Amino acid sequence: MNTIIITGATSGIGLASARLLAAKGFRILAVGHSKENCEKARSAILAETPAASVEYFPADLMQQREITRVAGELTEYVNKNCGAEVDALINNAGCARSWYMTTDEGYEQQFALNYLAGFLLTHELLPLLTKGQGRVIMTGSESHKGIKVHWNDVMLRRGYNPLTAYKQSKLCDILFARGLNDRYNAAGVHAYVVDPGLVHTDIGNKSGGIVNLVWKLRKRHGADPAVPARTYGWLCEQAEAPAGLYYRLCKENTYSKQVTSENADRLFALSEQLCGVTFGKENLV
Amino acid sequence: MNVLITGAAGGLGRALANECGRRGYNLFLTDVNAEGLLCIQRGLERQFGVTVTAKACDLTSAESVDKMLSVIDTNHIRFDMLLNIAGVDFEGGFMGREREKVVRIITLNDAAALRITHAVLERRRPGGHFTAVFVSSLASMFPMPLKATYAASKRFLLDFALSLRQELKDQDANVLALCPGGMVTTPEAMRGIAAQGFWGDVTTNPMEVVARKTLDRALSGKATYIPGGLNCTLSLLGKLIPRKWIAAVVYRRWNYAQNKWLTVKERNACCNAK
Repeated sequence: MNTIIITGATSGIGLASARLLAAKGFRILAVGHSKENCEKARSAILAETPAASVEYFPADLMQQREITRVAGELTEYVNKNCGAEVDALINNAGCARSWYMTTDEGYEQQFALNYLAGFLLTHELLPLLTKGQGRVIMTGSESHKGIKVHWNDVMLRRGYNPLTAYKQSKLCDILFARGLNDRYNAAGVHAYVVDPGLVHTDIGNKSGGIVNLVWKLRKRHGADPAVPARTYGWLCEQAEAPAGLYYRLCKENTYSKQVTSENADRLFALSEQLCGVTFGKENLV
Repeated sequence: MNVLITGAAGGLGRALANECGRRGYNLFLTDVNAEGLLCIQRGLERQFGVTVTAKACDLTSAESVDKMLSVIDTNHIRFDMLLNIAGVDFEGGFMGREREKVVRIITLNDAAALRITHAVLERRRPGGHFTAVFVSSLASMFPMPLKATYAASKRFLLDFALSLRQELKDQDANVLALCPGGMVTTPEAMRGIAAQGFWGDVTTNPMEVVARKTLDRALSGKATYIPGGLNCTLSLLGKLIPRKWIAAVVYRRWNYAQNKWLTVKERNACCNAK
């Protein structure tokens, strides 16, 4: 049975993807913020697919110590039950914030959760992904187009704007996927970004202020989370690793011209510094 | 520049630590939350490459403060700036709160601020300029029913800061009292501001801007800083309108907001219990 790890899997796109992939016979290891919501999500999946193999691991991925903790738990579980290999890691957890708020490390929260958490979790799970010749899938957004990374103020301390922070975090997701491909394609690991389109999720509900208000109106026009879930399912199911980087509705799509290897390398170096890790020095199994 | 920040592991303290780190200042951070302190220390070192020393301390305990001071003295650290950020509030009417919780507001917001200020002033860098910041509040401008102890504790800090500033004026030092409206320091604070509706939104200040301007104003010798034009106007009105009228208006507003907020919290607690 192939093993897939999904973050942000208690609601929205993450839960829909977990449901779909569990029904298709994948073993699902899911990460969610609250223990209570994890239990609810697991029950919902098992109610639909009684034979599903699904385990939830509660963790607050906003905090780096929680990421390393849950990565340790996942690694232990995978080593014991899944042949020490992972077939796909879906970095989907995300948030929106009306106000500048920081994590325990003092990092801006949208940058920290939407992008940096996926970077660190991927690093921590890379030995399992390498052994499984696995795929890393980031949840992107079309909103990444028309923006550059604010290299001199990546946390947007001087002039925080919620939408800019969100767009930049999604551009970083694609740059990370590009950088990961540059480094690990030869080792059999492939990275992708899924553009889910406008989806009816709860991402803006806890954002407060203007984002909360705008999202309430905007999400009415969003698709059901099951729609983008099909693209995650498609990327996980392909026997041969698809050649593209950015996918929408199971088809390759265009992305920003900012996605270059030069920018990806620059972001890799910055992210390694912010996470205190170095890719390439992980203990490959 | 060596800066000591209290309450550095969360909210405004963390934002100010970030701003100081961005400016390249060396930091001595303290907070009662030891784990959070280690996280922000690590984050600042990784972001800015500045020297950060962190020591967990309960500022309401003289013994705990003495232990921290011994670390400072052992390492011969002398300070150019003190940012007094640590503070606490518990929402609700005076008689609706536990006695010791009410007392703790004064113990931390006022008594602990005096203790650490006295200690750090004794350890200021010889011959250098010194800057101290106290976090008062927009609440210090008005009588605040349902936040009575908190508002009074912040009024104490405002008056104390102005007086201390005068005492130290001839000793190459400045003292600034920061009087912000609401700030989104935690998810709980975000929900509290949302419960106040329009007035919550318009009196809320962006934390990163407050952090930056607080340092700018303190270093340029200002005495007080009230962030936001509307908050400045409200503080002026507080000086013109009879205080008992203000108390009546504030009571109405807070009673409405707190009932709304507590209803949501109770509803959530009820759902969680299920």
